[in-house]
Amino acid sequence: MAILAIAGNTFRENIRDRILYNLILFAIIMIFSAVALGQLTLGHEDKIIVDLGLSSISIFGMLIAVFIGISLVYKELERRTVYSLLAKPIHRYEFILGKYLGLLCTLFVNVTIMTLGLVLTLASRGGGEFGSYLRLMPAVYLIFLSLALTTALALLFSTFSTPALSAVFTLFFWVAGHFNRDLLDFGRLTESASFRWLCNVLYYLLPNISNFNSIDGRNIIQSAAYHQSVDPAAVMWISVYALLYCAVLLLLSIAIFSRRDFK
Amino acid sequence: MNSNRLLVRNFAAWFLAGGCLLAALLIKPVQDRVEGRLQLFSVDPDMLYFSSPEGMKKLAMGYDSVLADIYWMRAIQYYGRRDEADKRPVRYRNLSALLQITVALDPDMLDAYRAGANFLAEPDPIGAGQPQEALKLLDNGINRMPHEWRLLFDKGFIYYWFVKDFEAAGQCWLSASRIPGAPAWMEGLAASALSKGGAMETAKTLWQKQYQESDRADIKENARNHLFSIEIAETLWALEYFVGKYRERAAAYPSELNDLVQAGFLRAMPVDPLGTPYQYDPKTGQVSLSPQSKVTYLGAPPGYRENFLENLKKLVESR
Repeated sequence: MAILAIAGNTFRENIRDRILYNLILFAIIMIFSAVALGQLTLGHEDKIIVDLGLSSISIFGMLIAVFIGISLVYKELERRTVYSLLAKPIHRYEFILGKYLGLLCTLFVNVTIMTLGLVLTLASRGGGEFGSYLRLMPAVYLIFLSLALTTALALLFSTFSTPALSAVFTLFFWVAGHFNRDLLDFGRLTESASFRWLCNVLYYLLPNISNFNSIDGRNIIQSAAYHQSVDPAAVMWISVYALLYCAVLLLLSIAIFSRRDFK
Repeated sequence: MNSNRLLVRNFAAWFLAGGCLLAALLIKPVQDRVEGRLQLFSVDPDMLYFSSPEGMKKLAMGYDSVLADIYWMRAIQYYGRRDEADKRPVRYRNLSALLQITVALDPDMLDAYRAGANFLAEPDPIGAGQPQEALKLLDNGINRMPHEWRLLFDKGFIYYWFVKDFEAAGQCWLSASRIPGAPAWMEGLAASALSKGGAMETAKTLWQKQYQESDRADIKENARNHLFSIEIAETLWALEYFVGKYRERAAAYPSELNDLVQAGFLRAMPVDPLGTPYQYDPKTGQVSLSPQSKVTYLGAPPGYRENFLENLKKLVESR
């Protein structure tokens, strides 16, 4: 119950902080793409609108996850509101989980509104029945999973570091997570067994953000744009990966936060 | 005292607003001046920051699709902006790289292969004059989409028209005809190319098919320009032939093209495909396309003139 109360509060705080203003920028991108693309490209207009829409959802979501996530705990410490909160019968794990769920809820609302905006833009061009827009869902779902992981990452750094450093760490891990597979290739290229072992360990240790970008070698946004079907089994395994990785990050956050001395 | 303070405050507000407006208005001329100085030391404007398709794909970090769109739009602007192309030392040096990056980022973008190959294969100044690069691009597409007969049709087209390898063109169309969904005329086209190698009738059929089949305005226009150009070339050669015949008979060039109609060589005064009369010089007997013509004349394939005149001569003599 306490978790939900903290989550609700975090969500309200985010809305008060005008997080949803990014939707105005998203709307401008969508209107621009619907009106101006005909002048800039030859064919593929709907495909480009889907690409622009889904990429914007991903980029805006990532920026919110990083820049709000890094201050989730730090802000409470800075304002000293954490003292009055923890003085109440609230466990520290409830505080962390509540904060995480609150930001996730903000991201969910944001992603939902942007997806609706994208569907409306496509519908305004007279493209297909409503059912055909369901093809966007696997991509939107995987983008949301990657945002959930990024938020957990930002929250972890937020429990022990300053916002500036947390932003650097989170962005570093986010970028590294896209090049994770190269680590395996580096390992294979070397003749040193210990270096190969290190590369393998790092490959599993670092978050595999690239997992959320493609399925069976096909980019997930491209699959949505070209109406290609997505293997549900692959989506399930990626979901399990996200769940496990987020659980590890949240448990680490709880462990660090529980050990912090607020005296 | 209070009214004085209010006056000063008002004055300060107006002064600030005026200053702000003035500064805003000055930004443009100052930026233009900076731009002018920068241009003195600018690097090659045709430089491509990333030329490796594989490298670009790595750097895309999951945003492959939107980056492919950006590169596709860039390739279209690079090709389509003739005024800028004319200023470059080599008109379309980076076109192939831009298209290769586009299809590396989005290997399913059919238009990038089809229209891109067209841009690359057309000779200068219409295109990049790189038919081999066009074939390479289409091969990438065929490897990715082996079920897409249009890519094989385009490949055969490039072999036929730009590389003049009629055997290879026929083989491409034969392969295309075996793909489910390919139109029935594809087999006939392949047979024609393989048997008659180089016949202009096949070429005309090709441009007509491309004109009818394509749903893209630029490809349609290009096909129409080629069809018009063949028609114009044939008319110009026929007119020159009849001017020569007239001279043989009257010991002088006709004073105007209408004399050919009067003398019975022609049934009516010829006009170009969009209705503009041809230009004639009675001093030299030369016939040419009028500068007022609205047709984009692309010329005729080399070697066809002799073939056409020989057939015309036979036709005239048989009557």
